Amino acid sequence: MRNYILKRLGQMIPVLILVSIIIFFVMRLLPGDPISLMLAGAEGGAISAERRAELAESMGLNDPLIVQYFDWITSALRGDLGESIRMRESVSKLIGEFFASTFELSLVGLFFSLSIGLSTGIIAALKKDSWFDFLSMGLAYVGISMPIFWLGLVLILAFSFEVKWFPSAGGEGLRSLVLPGLTLGLSSAGLISRLTRSSLIEILNEDYIRTARSKGLKEQAVVMGHAMKNAMIPVVTMVGLQFGGMMAGAVVTETVFSRPGLGKVLVNGVLWMDYPLVQGIILFLAVVYMSTNLLVDISYCFIDPRIRYS
Amino acid sequence: MKKFTIILLLVSFLMIIPVTVSAQQSGGELIIAVPASQEPGTMDGHIDPYQNTWLFNSFSADPLLILSPSGEYLPCLAESWEMAEDGFSWIFHLRNDVFFQDGTPFNAEALQKNFERVKAPETASVQMADELGPIAGYETPDEYTFIVKYDSPWPALLDGLRRLPIWSPTAFEKYGLADFEKHLIGTGPFIYKGAVAGDHISYERWEDYGGWNPIHDHEGPAYLEKVTIRYIGEQLVLGNMVDSGEAHIAQDIPATSCEDYENNEDATLLTGYQAGTGLQWVFNTLKAPLNQVEVRQALLYATDQDDINESVFDGRYLTQKGPLNKVHPCYWDGVEEMYPYDLDKANELLETAGWVYDGGAFRVAKGVEGVEDGTVLTFVFSALGEERARIGEILQLQWAPIGVDLKVEVIAGPIQIEKVQNKDFDLMYERQRTPDPRVLDMVWNSKNDYPGGWAWSGLKIPELDEALNKIAENSVLEERCAYAKAAQEIIMQNVGMLPTVSAPNFYAVSNSVHNFQLGSEGNWWFLNNTWIEE
Repeated sequence: MRNYILKRLGQMIPVLILVSIIIFFVMRLLPGDPISLMLAGAEGGAISAERRAELAESMGLNDPLIVQYFDWITSALRGDLGESIRMRESVSKLIGEFFASTFELSLVGLFFSLSIGLSTGIIAALKKDSWFDFLSMGLAYVGISMPIFWLGLVLILAFSFEVKWFPSAGGEGLRSLVLPGLTLGLSSAGLISRLTRSSLIEILNEDYIRTARSKGLKEQAVVMGHAMKNAMIPVVTMVGLQFGGMMAGAVVTETVFSRPGLGKVLVNGVLWMDYPLVQGIILFLAVVYMSTNLLVDISYCFIDPRIRYS
Repeated sequence: MKKFTIILLLVSFLMIIPVTVSAQQSGGELIIAVPASQEPGTMDGHIDPYQNTWLFNSFSADPLLILSPSGEYLPCLAESWEMAEDGFSWIFHLRNDVFFQDGTPFNAEALQKNFERVKAPETASVQMADELGPIAGYETPDEYTFIVKYDSPWPALLDGLRRLPIWSPTAFEKYGLADFEKHLIGTGPFIYKGAVAGDHISYERWEDYGGWNPIHDHEGPAYLEKVTIRYIGEQLVLGNMVDSGEAHIAQDIPATSCEDYENNEDATLLTGYQAGTGLQWVFNTLKAPLNQVEVRQALLYATDQDDINESVFDGRYLTQKGPLNKVHPCYWDGVEEMYPYDLDKANELLETAGWVYDGGAFRVAKGVEGVEDGTVLTFVFSALGEERARIGEILQLQWAPIGVDLKVEVIAGPIQIEKVQNKDFDLMYERQRTPDPRVLDMVWNSKNDYPGGWAWSGLKIPELDEALNKIAENSVLEERCAYAKAAQEIIMQNVGMLPTVSAPNFYAVSNSVHNFQLGSEGNWWFLNNTWIEE
């Protein structure tokens, strides 16, 4: 297992180098420049051509691209992702600040997603072709196809402005996590629910389940002790992907609920042409995504002891 | 006994009144919701180029002077100032009773250190360094006199100084450039308690505030105990924040939310106006057929700004017919009559310019220089954001009767910059905001037509440039306005742009908030005298 993990970690290095090259050069291909964009939103944003040149120099925008890339990547290898052009703050520090909020939101989203998705999926599988099955799977489709921003706004109108149970905006306190977490979790709950149902129905038709039942085991023990373990493997894969996706893609939820977060900063960074910020966050998210996948792969061993990595 | 009782009641009543008023006016946390798009990049106004950064800084740092709600410069940390007769230096006489929140005394030396910090290359101040101008040196003849010397006259200094936060030099030297934005220390009525990026900024009342800002109308510190600025990312949510009780004030609510607050028992709608260019679309006068002045004039004759305002903004914006909006101190009202809505005149001008009908819905070129015969009269209207694009959709309808095919495109900021730098546009959205007339110099002086400059139209008219240069060189407002008015006339004669409307700032304010004072610029406000009714 140790060797497998080391091998997987080693495989991450060329992927990260590739990601770093792509993101570095793609950002430079985009139209506009950071100074013009900064001033475009400024009050009476006029500065002289000389001042503009000074700023470009101080921001390191005048060096050849290849020099800029190697400066950045060598610093990144030392753990220094540079300084945000717009926020004048260390990118590593900003990632640390914002990731905590996004991670927290993703965890809550995952909680809603799992609790709703697993429970409805299991019940729907056990009560196949019942009204509950049709209703829950129909709602799962609705959950999957609902635009996140629309769902977020509906929840705000209902629970913040009408009944006033939860705040409509902000990132402080547990109450502020409920609506954005639910928004983020509902669409992936639909996916998990459908996958759990189909996977469990398939397993429940296996011979070993029939054997377990014929031995007189209680249905609860058959389902939870035997069927679920095997049914969970594709679900865990999906959960891992969804969790990675939630962290990288929470931007819409963060914007609708005015929560600080990595996704929102990333989008702003692209709009501001804040090269170091965007590069640093993309690189970090790539690491998070790959690490999540690695953890998912490792978790298979615990779910199904027959799976061994060498 | 009866007399005694009456006297006792009277005395008690007199004693209660001030106590009650004081209790009403003191305390409370004011929550202000602002659009997330207005979040400062860094909280240090020496570095950041945004109005909101300077506004938020003003709660914790008084400037040298302020722009009062009536639009006058009033002394704040400077008691008075004058420009030297030769125009090459400014002399400031400073208050001698001011100290920073960390106890550091405010004096000429502290002020010089602030100037030096802004100008230092390592600060990389995006705009303020330029606002302070080409400084040649400083003099401090005594502790409370500060002289700034220039290589050439710099009349625009005051416009920069009203926004420049004066920080404690002890603090910025102690924390260094990177960390100071977390420890902003000035002389203002509130102590900066920090910001959570993407979420909020917090301030607490400074009990030792000396009331140095002329807007401060009472003895002692500000009334509010705490101020929290919250960023809201979604317009619909922002528009409901006051109604739902989650904020006391919401700044820049969308026009569609205004109606909710007009007949509201618990809240009031405030409207602020900001001087500047308004929402204008610059013509690319270097590109055919917009290089024909008759064509540009025809487009103005065929534009009904009132209709745009009614159709898109429920009539809540200010209509605009020239390069400066109506609230600008140097606005020239001659623009109102220059291009009245007149479709006959517009059609006549297009015919004269060689654009004729050949049986289709739109006009085509016939003998137009540089344009192939039969080319359809088409323009692209480039807008930032869907709301601005709706102006283009109304123009499509307005210009169709004169045979113009207008296409509307929504572009992002970086694309706008790219298109402007490549001169690859027909009508490009541009808005600049400042009450200083040099805004005209910035947008219309041909010397500012460089990559990254803000003069986009391609117009190069010597008499216009001369008038604009004089605005930049002159220090007397009346004279600057006279040049600005002359410049407006030339711009409109040559039709450098299409004026449409000017966007106000709409505020929803809870009725529990008292003395929330808007500045003369719609996006500036004062909290020195604000209080919340319990």
